This record gives sequence, structure tokens and C-alpha cells, in this order.
Amino acid sequence: MNSIPPNEKTHGIELPQPTAGPMICAFGFTLMAAGIVTNWIVAVVGLTALLAGAVDWFRNANPDSLEMVAPPAREKPTPIVPRPGSVDHLLGDSSHRARIPMEIHRYRDGMIGGAIGGVVMAIFASLWGLIAHGSLWYAVNLLAGTLRSGVADLSMEELAAFSTEGLIVGIIIQAVMAITVGLLYGVVLPLVPRAPLVFAAIIVPLMWSGLTWAAVSVVNPALGDHVEWIWFIASQVVYGVTTGWWIIRSEKIGTMQNWHYVDRIGLETQRTGGNS
Amino acid sequence: MSALQPPAAAGPVPFLSRLHEWVATVDHKKLGTMYIVCGIIYLIVAGLEATMMRWQLAWSGMEVLTPAEFNRLFTMHGTTMVFFVGMPILLGSANYLVPLMIGARDLAFPRLNAFSFWLFFFGSLLLYFSYFGGQGLYGMGSAPDVGWFAYAPLTERTFSRGHSTDYWILGIFVAGIGSTATAVNFIATILGMRCRGMSLMKMPLLAWIMLVDCVLILVALPPLAAAQILLLFDRQLGAHFFDTQAGGSALLWQNLFWFFGHPEVYILILPGFAFVTEIIPVFSRKVIFGYPLMVAATVAIGFISVGVWVHHMFVVGLSPMLNAIFMGSTMLVGVPTGIKMFNWVATMIGGRIRFDTPMLYATGFLCQFLLGGLTGIFLATVPFDWQVSDSYFVVGHFHYVLFGGLVFAIFAAVYYWFPKVSGRMMNETLGKWQFWLLVIGFNITFGAMHVSGFLGMPRRVYTYHADRGWDFWNLLTSLGVIVQILGFSLFALNLVHSLFRGRKAGDDPWDAWTLEWSTTSPPPPHNFDEDPIVHSRRPLWDLKHPDDPDWKYE
Amino acid sequence: MTTAPAALAPPEALPQDGIVNGKIGIACMIISEIAFFGTLIAAYLFYIGRDINGPYPQDVLDVSIAPLKVLFNSIFLLISSVWIWLAIRSMRRGRMGAFVFWWALTVLCGAEFLVGTGFEWYGMIVDDGVWMGTNLFGSCFYTLVGFHAFHVTMGLLVLTLVLVLALLGHVTPRNVEKVDLVSWYWHFVDGIWIIVFFVVYIFGNMPVS
Ligand SMILES: [Cu+2]
Repeated sequence: MNSIPPNEKTHGIELPQPTAGPMICAFGFTLMAAGIVTNWIVAVVGLTALLAGAVDWFRNANPDSLEMVAPPAREKPTPIVPRPGSVDHLLGDSSHRARIPMEIHRYRDGMIGGAIGGVVMAIFASLWGLIAHGSLWYAVNLLAGTLRSGVADLSMEELAAFSTEGLIVGIIIQAVMAITVGLLYGVVLPLVPRAPLVFAAIIVPLMWSGLTWAAVSVVNPALGDHVEWIWFIASQVVYGVTTGWWIIRSEKIGTMQNWHYVDRIGLETQRTGGNS
Repeated sequence: MSALQPPAAAGPVPFLSRLHEWVATVDHKKLGTMYIVCGIIYLIVAGLEATMMRWQLAWSGMEVLTPAEFNRLFTMHGTTMVFFVGMPILLGSANYLVPLMIGARDLAFPRLNAFSFWLFFFGSLLLYFSYFGGQGLYGMGSAPDVGWFAYAPLTERTFSRGHSTDYWILGIFVAGIGSTATAVNFIATILGMRCRGMSLMKMPLLAWIMLVDCVLILVALPPLAAAQILLLFDRQLGAHFFDTQAGGSALLWQNLFWFFGHPEVYILILPGFAFVTEIIPVFSRKVIFGYPLMVAATVAIGFISVGVWVHHMFVVGLSPMLNAIFMGSTMLVGVPTGIKMFNWVATMIGGRIRFDTPMLYATGFLCQFLLGGLTGIFLATVPFDWQVSDSYFVVGHFHYVLFGGLVFAIFAAVYYWFPKVSGRMMNETLGKWQFWLLVIGFNITFGAMHVSGFLGMPRRVYTYHADRGWDFWNLLTSLGVIVQILGFSLFALNLVHSLFRGRKAGDDPWDAWTLEWSTTSPPPPHNFDEDPIVHSRRPLWDLKHPDDPDWKYE
Repeated sequence: MTTAPAALAPPEALPQDGIVNGKIGIACMIISEIAFFGTLIAAYLFYIGRDINGPYPQDVLDVSIAPLKVLFNSIFLLISSVWIWLAIRSMRRGRMGAFVFWWALTVLCGAEFLVGTGFEWYGMIVDDGVWMGTNLFGSCFYTLVGFHAFHVTMGLLVLTLVLVLALLGHVTPRNVEKVDLVSWYWHFVDGIWIIVFFVVYIFGNMPVS
């Protein structure tokens, strides 16, 4: 920033002169409005004030705006002192004004990891159905129940029985959810400062379970009755461990900022806080 | 000529000439200050109105207020908060900041600016005059009692006797003309008065957001004025627009009102966005993340927000198709808002964050606005809306957005720019105490409202039976108010104390980067001794770090 | 990091001419007026054909070209846009006499429109007995057409003020940009009338099937 000195011919800076015209106008206008609910005389007084203010205003603004020379400021602003060398570089000297994260996982890896995690989780959950309820299909029917109506009416036997529709709906839900969450994991994990696997395998599954638990009891209590939450959490953890492990061991690639436009993308911190 | 500058000789300026100086001023800084002071006074008024309502509702069967008084209180509370707290504070801060930030001497039309302010001022007085002159049913003063969205045909002469509704119409109409004129003024200022070198994409984001905000005002407020005129004609001239017995339609009012009403909430929240967008980078010591995306998201919000109004009318019984369309468009708003959210967080990531009071409030804004935004997505879903519409859940939701969001952003702005306006710092300790009291009180009050809403408590009831199971949650809500009052009192204390006893601030207490910090605190009437020239989005950064200037990267 | 940057050449200055602001300001004002009239028009369209008692528009509105009827008046109003354009053109060329002539013609045409509207309303109120409270058509008609007439009146007042100032010699070609802004507003008032006319006298006046 530099600056232009004020016009020397005018010996100062011109500012519009103060005027009460606009205020009187506004007052008159309000009185006119008030006249509707009080008395017509109020409105007449308002109109008079409006006109008086308008004349004053007009004379201030025409033919040229009435100006006055601003008095010179008594205080001058403190000059800004350059502080060369005080910019702190975020990620070492090579990457100036970088965006975090510098390296990310491929979207592909996130989706593949999600798919693998989804399959493992499905196997695990089906095993739970087999052990706890003696049916391989119990879990998938429950999952399908989040979209299909009428789970509440189903008996335990019906839930345990094989159903083509349930299987198809369940697989679709599982695939979509697993791959989407895997993609999100791929994007988010590089942002987690410490122990991304803990985040992926424990924190997120617990948070997701808590959210589901809270939501299901309101949205679909009948469905909630059928879920055993320890197993639910366990299967989420299974997914989190598998997907997180897959993504973390996959190769990272640099973001675009490492390619051509390193110099053009901005981010920096300063070495010192307050004033230096 | 001497009006702007008190005589150099020592001695107090006579009160009358002081008063004249303020009444006749066309200076954007003085007008901005008056807007904000009025806004804060009305904030106290509306807060007290809310407090009385919470007292009445603290337990089942209380008899603090009569039903009629209660109706007036929630009407005046809502109306005041939207039109006489939100609008003046946002217009006032834009008044004060925009010319300074774009390096201009004043707004494009300084006299029009004064006119707008006084319209707001007298309009608000006209509305409050109804308490004395409203001529209710028995000829006594009576404030409006029809709710802030004044649904027809409840507002028709048949059901709303006396003049209270007319006062509601006229007060807001007058103030609304002022707001529209200000919007015109700001658009001309921002487009035509920027200092040399400041291209549109080098403007501070606050100026960008205010520009979009003013365009929204321009298209949203005139329809409200028109709708109010229709209602006024119904009441005064016997027209039949909302008279259902003569073929008039209650639905038309709802459409017209919400065509204004929804953009209005964005008009209110966008300046909140603007404040935190300026504050977060400075206290993270980093450049804002994704400047062009922020601009794009702001413009997108502007466009989308005029096409979602029907989500306030899901329970009316419109066609499922219409409901579905507006549910979709409403959810669409989440996308640009989400982009902003991510950009703010991304600005903080990796930064050397200083949690001074302004930053605390900005962070509080992020968390609480996020919650309000999420319940907003819930409410956009038609079946969910059917369940909780007109319940305390909705009240909780929009207070998270407008109080947890907007008011927190306003406090962030007050703590951030107070040194520029007054030349003195606000007290940090008091500020932090206030922050935590407000966070706790706010979340108790409005968090509990979500629960009572889920339990089926409708909004706007003046009392309830003991057997509903709402007592506990209402008590909680009301107790939270006490904590908030403590917080607000600390703020008042801080404000007064700092104004007279605060530490001298200097020109640039936060080591910030936009033009307003390059002039004195408070700025002289002409803002800058010399017209600034900028080369980047952070002109002061360029000056402070000539070895690593921004213009190399933009 | 070690070398200070070379001094920058200051970028191009943006125009800071006050009249640019005026143009933006008037344009914005017109946008807000469009939003205002848009609402009134929406209400009008919404209520077409919803009356539960007469008189209906078909009984009352006269779109013949007869003098002092609406079509006749509209032609006067619309053609005044041409006159005001000619006035501004003359002013730009420094011919103040021609300016005053065209400007006065504009005022006269605008006044004819108002007078014509007055006669139309008189006929409707006194002969046909339609007023605000008669039915929805009355409410909508007088509100929409009335607000347009109100805007014409405001415009006429400003036009007359300029005319008087010009006759007193206070308007010089130097002021052409400011005077031009007045003509923008007048063009808007004319333009919106085309829509109002179409909505009220054509679309809202279709024979009932
Ligand atoms: Cu809305």
C-alpha cells in the first residue's frame, strides 16, 4: 500500500457539510405515517416537515454538493514499520504459504479401503446374527429395515428368514455407506494430527454409534429394539480398523500445490504474536 | 464548518452543540455509531421482554403475565430483535467499516445515509409508541400482538381491533424504506468508491459479503413493504386482499411475508459471517482460506436464499411436489454455508491461534452456528418439519442461528473493532468471563428448548399444564436466562468501563491487515490523510512484510 | 526473503467520479421498485378471477382508443419516453432551448396520463360503483394502478422541478448527467406501465369462459 497526497489546490480534504435536512425529512415522513393512525393534522405537519427538510437537502446537494474542508487531523497515524524476516513458514522452508495437508491419500484408496472394510464388517455382522440369533440373514434384514418400512411388524422368525429384497436392499445400503465413509476417511485422515488409526478405528465408530443410537430411538424405535449395541459398536470398530488400516498403509501423493503453483497459493504464519 | 471539530480551546463542548453535531451529521462513522448504540439499546429492551416471557413460562401455571401481555411481548420481542437490533447493528457496522476498509472518505450518498438512519430511528419509535397510543380494544395503549410474521387474517380489522397492527405495519414500513435506501447507498459505495488498486477481487471479504447482503435487502424488503401496504389497505380502506370471506387469501400473505422473511434471516446472518471472516484470519495469523470460494459461496447463498421461502409453510398443506422442491432448494443452502464453515476451520488449522476475546466469540460462533445449521437441515426435511413445526424446537433452532450465531459474531465484532472506534481496548478478563457465562447460559436456555419442543410444547403458549412433563425443561430454559443476564451485565460494565478507563489501543492493536487499522483510533472525519493505494487483499501485510508481500501470490 | 521487492507500479485507478455512483444508485433504486411492483403484480395475478361478486373487470374496463380512456392515455405516457430521450440528447449537444421544449412536452404528456387516469377512476367510482372495498378486483386494481399513478406523480414533480430550474437558468449542459438520471426513472415508470397495462387490461380482462 502506498498513498496519494491530497489535492494541493484545495488545501485539504473536502467533506460534505453537516445538515439536518435528511433528519427533518425522515421525521416528517414518520409523522405522515403516524397520521394514518392518529389524526390527519399530524400527517399535514409531517408533510410540511418533509418538504422543509427536502428543500434543505436539495440545496445542500445541488448544483454541487456543499463541501467543507476537513480540519487537519490532530494526530497522525503511527507509521507502519516493516518487519522483514518475521514471517514464519508453516511447513519448513520448502513450502511457503502451503495448504494443509501437503500430502493426501488417493480418493481411489479411500473407496477401496471402504469397500474392503464394508465386506469385512458385513461378514462380522452376519456371524453375529448366526451366533446370537442362529441366522445368517438377521443382520442384513435389520440393515435393510432402515429403508424398508414395517420392520416393527416383523417377528423374529421373519427377521431371521432369507429375503431376496432384504438382501438386495441391504447390500446396496452397505456398499453405498461403506464406500462413502471410506472416501471421507481418505480425505479426513491426513488432517488428523496424531494417531489417525485411533481416530479411524475407535473415535469415529464410537461417535457414529452414539449418533445412531440417539437418532434411532427417536426416528425408528422399533428398529432400535432389535439392535444389540455392543455388537453394533464392535462391527463399526471392525470396519474402522480395516478401512483405516488400508488407507493409512496406502501411498500418499502430494497435493497440486507441490506441482506448479507453489508460489501462488497462500498461507503463512507470523513468528511473533501481538506486536513485534 | 466547526460542526465536525470541537473548538481547539480546552473546556467542555456545550451539550446543545454536541447534540447538534450528532443530529446534523452526515459522517458515516457517527451514523454507524448511532445505529449500533440504538441497536444495543433495543437489544436490552428485547432481552428484557424475553426475560419476562421466560419468567412466566418457568413453571406450569404461573401468572406473572396475562395472555394478552404475553402475546404482545413475543410479538415485540421478535419484531424488535429482527428489525431494530439485527438490522441497525448490521447496517451500523457496515456504515462504520465499509468506507474505512475500502479506503473511501464516506458513503456514496452521505445525506441519504443520514436520512436512512433517521427513518430507522423514528420508525422504531413509532412502533414502540403503540404501547401508549395503540388504542387497543378498550381505548388503552396496546402493542401489536400478532406475532412477528403477523399472519393474516388474524391481522385483519375483524380480529385485530384498534391500531396496534397498524403501528406494526407503519413502524416497520418506515424503517424498511430506510434499510432499502441504505442498501442502494452501499452498493453504489462498494462498486464505485474503492480506493486505487482495489479491484473487486482484492476487496476485504467483509465488503463482498455486505455487497451481497445489500442486494438481498434490495430484492427482499420492497416485497414486505408491498405486502404491508396491502394489509394496511385492508385495514384502513376496506380492501379484501386477506379477507377470506370476500375471496381473499391467507396464503398470499404467507407467501409474500416469507418471500421477505427467509432472505431476511440471511440478511441478518451474512454480516455475522462477514465479522468472523475478518476476525479469524487475524487471530490465526494466517490468510483466509479460499478467498474466491468465499466470494462464490456468498453469492450462491444470496441466490439460493430467495428461492426457499416455502419451507416456512410446509404444514400449510401445499402439494407434495411443491414441498419436495422447496425441501431440495433449502438443503442446497447447506452447500455454500458448509463451504464457508470449512474455509473458516481451514484458516484456523495450522495457524498460531491467539484466543483473545474476539477470537473466542468467533470460535463460539462457529460451534453454535453449526448446531443451528444442522437443526436447520432437520427442519428442511418435510416429515420432520411436520412433527416439530411451531414447536419450541423451531424456537431453539433459530435462536442457535441468530443468537448463538449472529449475536456471538456481533460480540466478536464489538470486541475487535471497539479499539478502532473508541481508541481504547476492552477489558479482556471481563470479556472472557462474559463469553463463558453467555456460552453456558445460552446453551442451557436454547438447548433445553429443543427438548421441550420434541416433547410437543408449542411456541407462543403463555402457560401450560403441569401434567405435560414440560416443567423441568422450561425451568432449565428460564434458569439459563439468569446466567445470560449476568453475562450481559458484564458486557455493559465492560463497555462503560473501557470507554473511560480502557487501556489506550493505538492504531493497530491486533496487528491486523485491512485498511481501517492504518488510520488513527478513532479515525479522523476524513478517514485517511492520504488516499490509500493497495496492491493486494492485505495492504498492511504488504507494508509490514515487504520481503514477503501478498501481491506476489495473488 | 533477503532482498526487498522492487517498488510496484501503482495499478490502474478506478473511476471515482460521483456520477458513476449516481447511476449505480438509480439503477439499484429501480431494481427495488421492480421488486415492489413485482409483488403488487403477483398479488393482482393471484386474484384474477377469484371475485365472488361483481362488477368484474370485463364490465368496467374500457380498452378502446377513445380519448381519455386508458389506451389513449397510455400512448401519451409511452411516447413521453421518446420526448425525454430527445430532451437529454439536445442537452448533451448544448441546445438548451430544444431541451426545455422536449422536457416540457414530456411533462405535458405525463400530466395528460394523470388527468386521463383521473377521469377513468371517476367513471369507475361514480358510474360503475367500484372502489377498494367493492371486491377483490377493486382492491387489486386501485392498489396496482394507484401505485403506478403515484410514481408517475412523483416523477412529474421532479420533472417539473427540473423544468422550473431550467427556465430560471439553473440547469446547464454541465448538469446533463444528473438530469439524465431523472430520465432513467421516467423510463422505468413508462416501462413498468407496459407490464401493468398488460396484466390489468389484457390478461385480467379476458372474457370469462
Ligand atoms: Cu427460512
